[in-house]
Amino acid sequence: MFKAIVSASTLRDALDSVSVLVDECKVRLNEDGLSIRAVDPANVGMVDLSLDAAAFESYEADGGVIGVNLARLEDIAGMGNAGDLVHLELDEETRKLHIRIDGLSYTLALIDPDSIRQEPDIPDLDLPAEIVVEGNQLDRGITAADMVSDHIDLRVDEGAETFHIEAEGDTDDVDFEMGPGDLIHLEAGPADSLFSLDYLKDMNKAIPGDAEVTVELGEEFPVKLHYEFAEGLGQVTFMLAPRIQSE
Amino acid sequence: MGNADLRQLAALSEVDWDEVAGSVVAVDAHNWLYRYLTTTVKWTNDAVYTTAAGEEVANLVGVVQGLPKFFEHDLTPVFVFDGGVTELKDDEVAARREQREQAAERLAAAEERGDAVEAARLEARTQRLTDVILETTRDLLAHLDVPVVDAPAEGEAQAAYMARRGDVDYAGSEDYDALLFGAPYTLRQLTSEGRPELMDLDATFDRHDISWEGLIDVAILCGTDFNPGVDGVGPKTALRAIADHGDLWAALDAEGWQVANADRVRNLFRDPPVTDDYAVDTDIDPDVAAARAYVTEQWEVEADEVERGFERIEDALVQTGLDRWT
Repeated sequence: MFKAIVSASTLRDALDSVSVLVDECKVRLNEDGLSIRAVDPANVGMVDLSLDAAAFESYEADGGVIGVNLARLEDIAGMGNAGDLVHLELDEETRKLHIRIDGLSYTLALIDPDSIRQEPDIPDLDLPAEIVVEGNQLDRGITAADMVSDHIDLRVDEGAETFHIEAEGDTDDVDFEMGPGDLIHLEAGPADSLFSLDYLKDMNKAIPGDAEVTVELGEEFPVKLHYEFAEGLGQVTFMLAPRIQSE
Repeated sequence: MGNADLRQLAALSEVDWDEVAGSVVAVDAHNWLYRYLTTTVKWTNDAVYTTAAGEEVANLVGVVQGLPKFFEHDLTPVFVFDGGVTELKDDEVAARREQREQAAERLAAAEERGDAVEAARLEARTQRLTDVILETTRDLLAHLDVPVVDAPAEGEAQAAYMARRGDVDYAGSEDYDALLFGAPYTLRQLTSEGRPELMDLDATFDRHDISWEGLIDVAILCGTDFNPGVDGVGPKTALRAIADHGDLWAALDAEGWQVANADRVRNLFRDPPVTDDYAVDTDIDPDVAAARAYVTEQWEVEADEVERGFERIEDALVQTGLDRWT
């Protein structure tokens, strides 16, 4: 059983964070909200999302699992204005999701959850550095890095208490330094890891500009990017595996 | 050849790349190389892989195209090269050479007629693994730090042996012979699009309620790479004959069939020349820059032709997976 009403913008924010990594996913319809965990086919980027029942106008579920094609569902959610309410109802018998949005009815065929890639185990990470930064700032660093390279170095200078987003291109280099004045919070620790910009750019797309992003970082370790949406009732954690640094 | 017959006997299933990720596969190098050679030669202008001195190294293009598939799916290949050809296979080798020579004549004729399609098809068949091809393949694999093992004879037998000993997780070959050589698990379709096919030895035994020895006898009756089978005997008849009569000799006796060299073929599958003298270091640390220089500078392959492959190799080997931390 699943029946819920949610604003189009909240639904879109939730779907966007998953669709940057996978085309289809399992959605767990828990009693207290829905959750999604997915990893891209190469096992490099992972998303762990939860959306509390309180983020919905109304929410009833009893713990089922559905498989959805994310692009389809995003298209439908895109048919409404931000404030429009989306009505979702699962037909257990036909395994279809009935969606109503501003006079529009849509019946979405679901995917057999067993045919979708298994939900990944969450890596066990104890990362020494934590940086809290505004989404806009992160976006600025990533955009600049993308101009010169296809990978990006995230680093903390423990002595100077600064966070660096750096990229080295064939000819040009970028260093975006953020000190205590630019950051919401910094817990310095040994942290220096290299990441693929392809992935980070996609993750960044899903992060709202005004979100507070908690970046957890280590030395040649995956990075964790955590932020909230839907007024704190939605939680997203991205994890991205590093590239091996040469030399 | 008996390959179609063996396919009917083998327990095969498609598997997800996910299921085989993280494993080591001993690849029958000649078998693998041959497939990439034929496709490269078929689809690429020969100017791309011919040096000013006239040496053809299409294999280098093939290796650079073929390797990323392993790395992107987190599979470590160990390439097993054939040693001296076993005596029994001489006929087969001679026959292949003869086929190639015939094809070469037809190729010349097709070129003269301007029949490009026929010429392309024939050119693939006239490709052979020359000394240059084998040597440059080894050199390129060395630059990329991909492990290589030298078999005393059949690469496929050595790959199966390594899989049996548990030094690798799978044998890798398109040939169904890996089954007769006793590879517990063989991955096929490593050179094609899509998912690999798993050939399971124990499941094959169970399916036909047969032993390894019995399976070899059945294959000999149908025909293998090393012997022509009994005329008109396919897998069903052969299975029944071995089940009814017990083994190859009894079956031949009872049915009045003849198979030349049957005892030698049987021994070859049961106890092929293999070696324990190999070391497999699966910690691959490639020098992609050196490999690139080797292919494009030393052997004058057009850089554009291999750039994408090298990029894929680089990306696959420097990008870690999250599973390393779970």
